[in-house]
Amino acid sequence: MVYEYWLAAMQGVSAKKKRLLREEYGEGRAVYYIEEIQLRFLDFLEDRDVEAILHARKDKDIEKDWQRLAEKNIRFIPYFSKQYPNRLRQIDDAPYALYVKGRLPEEDRLSAAIVGARKCTPYGEETALEYGECLAQNGIQVISGMARGIDGAGQRGALNGGGTTYGILGNGVDICYPREHIGLYMDIQVCGGLISEQPPGRPPLPVYFPLRNRIISGFSDVILVMEARERSGSLITADLALEQGKDVYALPGPVTSRLSQGCHRLIRQGAGILISPEDLLAELKVLRGPAVQKSDKNKKTLENHENVVYSCFGFFPKGISQLLEETGFCASELLQILTSLELKGYIREVSKNYYSKTR
Amino acid sequence: MSFSTVLSAAIQGLHVEMVHVEADVSNGLPMFHMVGYLSSEVREASERVRTAIRNSGIQLPVKKIIVNLAPATVRKKGASFDLPIALAILASMGFFPEEQIRDTLVVGELGLDGSIKEVAGVLPVVMQAKEEGYRKCILPSRNVREGALVEGMEILGASHLMEACRYLSGECKSGTVSEGMQKEGWQKSGEAAEDYSDIQGQEAVKRAAEVAVAGGHNLLLIGPPGSGKSMIAKRVPTILPPPVREESIEITKIYSVLGMVDKEHPLITGRPFRSVHHTVTKAALIGGGAFPAPGEISLAHGGVLFLDELAEFQKPVLEVLRQPLEERQIRITRSQGNFVFPADFILICAMNPCPCGNYPDFNKCTCTPFQIQQYLGKISQPFLDRIDICVETPKIRYETLTGERRQESSAKIRDRVCKARDIQKERYKGRNIRTNSMLGVNELREFCSLGSGEERLMRQAFTSLELTARTYHKIIKTARTIADLDGGGRIREHHLKEAIAYRTMDKKYWGR
Repeated sequence: MVYEYWLAAMQGVSAKKKRLLREEYGEGRAVYYIEEIQLRFLDFLEDRDVEAILHARKDKDIEKDWQRLAEKNIRFIPYFSKQYPNRLRQIDDAPYALYVKGRLPEEDRLSAAIVGARKCTPYGEETALEYGECLAQNGIQVISGMARGIDGAGQRGALNGGGTTYGILGNGVDICYPREHIGLYMDIQVCGGLISEQPPGRPPLPVYFPLRNRIISGFSDVILVMEARERSGSLITADLALEQGKDVYALPGPVTSRLSQGCHRLIRQGAGILISPEDLLAELKVLRGPAVQKSDKNKKTLENHENVVYSCFGFFPKGISQLLEETGFCASELLQILTSLELKGYIREVSKNYYSKTR
Repeated sequence: MSFSTVLSAAIQGLHVEMVHVEADVSNGLPMFHMVGYLSSEVREASERVRTAIRNSGIQLPVKKIIVNLAPATVRKKGASFDLPIALAILASMGFFPEEQIRDTLVVGELGLDGSIKEVAGVLPVVMQAKEEGYRKCILPSRNVREGALVEGMEILGASHLMEACRYLSGECKSGTVSEGMQKEGWQKSGEAAEDYSDIQGQEAVKRAAEVAVAGGHNLLLIGPPGSGKSMIAKRVPTILPPPVREESIEITKIYSVLGMVDKEHPLITGRPFRSVHHTVTKAALIGGGAFPAPGEISLAHGGVLFLDELAEFQKPVLEVLRQPLEERQIRITRSQGNFVFPADFILICAMNPCPCGNYPDFNKCTCTPFQIQQYLGKISQPFLDRIDICVETPKIRYETLTGERRQESSAKIRDRVCKARDIQKERYKGRNIRTNSMLGVNELREFCSLGSGEERLMRQAFTSLELTARTYHKIIKTARTIADLDGGGRIREHHLKEAIAYRTMDKKYWGR
């Protein structure tokens, strides 16, 4: 197996060429021992590739690295393994090998990707949390990239809902990136798995991130785009998903928000529109168990003036000055009302004296 | 008489040490020698003094002249010893009777033509002289108004060496400052040009500033560029209670040592406002040097220290503020000894919410979450812990800016602040506490007990807002002040709620 690992971890040769090589020679060990002249003779390899292979042979640490995989509890699943997920086999440019910490998504269970901007609004974040939770409660596996913002929120929601979620990383699975998601990183290993095509120890470099998007869409049956600017990584995922023949859904937002422009473009191009989690589940025909109770907090528990302030909140956080103008309260009164609303859990402070509605 | 003594003074930090300038003129090899732990500028005095005496028309005898500045353990700095040295020599030459100058404090710098120039630190020197029982002093005429701030001193202003000599030899009597000038020193200067009524909108910030001033709390303003953070901070001195005479003198003393007082109106009757640029060094901020001089925080004593662009300050510079914020004075230790400078000020900081300043306006903000976190991370938690009130200054909208609404004047706000401060003074009588911000944990228990409803509210807030023990105490202190503005009764629920809205967010919740 160490030869297979050597072939998989080799840098500078594309997955497709690695696959051709492996098919030609039957096993990784044979590839390792091909004479240079023979390599040059293969018409699908360019000089660059041959150099890369020769260079990779000089790597003396490969055996140690291989042993470390077992120590770190990381599974190595090459393309030719029976364990290799069928969903990925079908996509173009399938990764040559996967490194898994935890489990792989179940083959015959529905899975949905929740993707979106790293810098998202509280609106996007709350919605991602809600969808993640609702999907998980209905047995749908949530796939995402464990990034800041929407990705992390969707996966956190799935964990809250007691379901399974899988993080597709752009770096080695032994590295937690971004670091502040260490809690998520640990939880996902238990309730799902962390998957990467990069061998362990590979740092999170910008080039790897667009690449992992094809794996996210490959694993998923539907893609939910929560918030995306125009020209963003999430739209790449959506495009790849369309190429792979998957359904794409997008969350609408205010037309004035740049963070929703990408979503609106997707909707115009024919993507599904996310109205509510129940609506989505009905379309996916998986509505099991009782529908999630929508909390209707707005009704009784609020006092009159609290209601006045609460009704001012919309999609986006509002600052005190704007609220002062809209409600006509004086500063100290307004601050008192905001604090009661915050304590009751209706709003939260997203930045100093900027408040946003919670669900 | 070949020996005489003149009284002068050396300033170390803010502390004044009386110095006896002794001169001895005797037979021997002609020479002019000065001893007594002198810095180089005092050593140079020998040249100035000899030339000034000659140019005043007096021939120095061809004799051995020794000048000693006692006590020899105190380091003497500055040019203020020129005049006392000259007068000591002239007295020992018998130019005027030695009794005339005994027990008279003399300071002043000499020019080569014999003119007397102004010096720094006159006020603390004269005060110290009075305390030690001296009643007469000779000052440079430009420093007379400053010296006259000390009541009950007989002050002579002289602008030339000969003028002083004539007075001492009894040739002329005039020159002593009349009582009139002493009274004149204590005059209120005209009302400050700035006023809170200049600011349109920003009601929440003005309210936060009022609470901060009423309880002596430090204040952090967070807002985009151009939202008026500095404007608001600059006007805080106008709502501080006006200083009483003792406070004014204390503030003026600090400015006097640094030579920063106005010669015509020496007494500082307003509250100082010191705005510090973010390139400031540690020594400039807290005071320093081999022989430490007071820094910006001491210049802000009794008033406001304003740090704009807080996140741009070097971290170590901010950290040195922690101790003075706690103790309200700064203790600087050098090999020459300990120096204590007062530093009781209200700290006002301003910063942007993110590097570009537009967060949380997601359409405009171009910063990545990581950048925002890094930016906010520049301010350490212990530093934030010393700031009780944090408020956002939003961007002003056109309608507000051009609005005709009449804004409340500083005088009105100041009245409320004064009332709240009086309540505090009454409550903390006999303790070393002046404002609510100085309450310790034990005093909190004594003065800020909560009723059962308030207790319940705080319990809920503690868990649902994930407060820390420190934020909890800050909220109680701020609520105490809000209640004092409200008449000084018990802390009620609505006081607590307002205080909760002012809390500084713990760093880990910033920039989510």
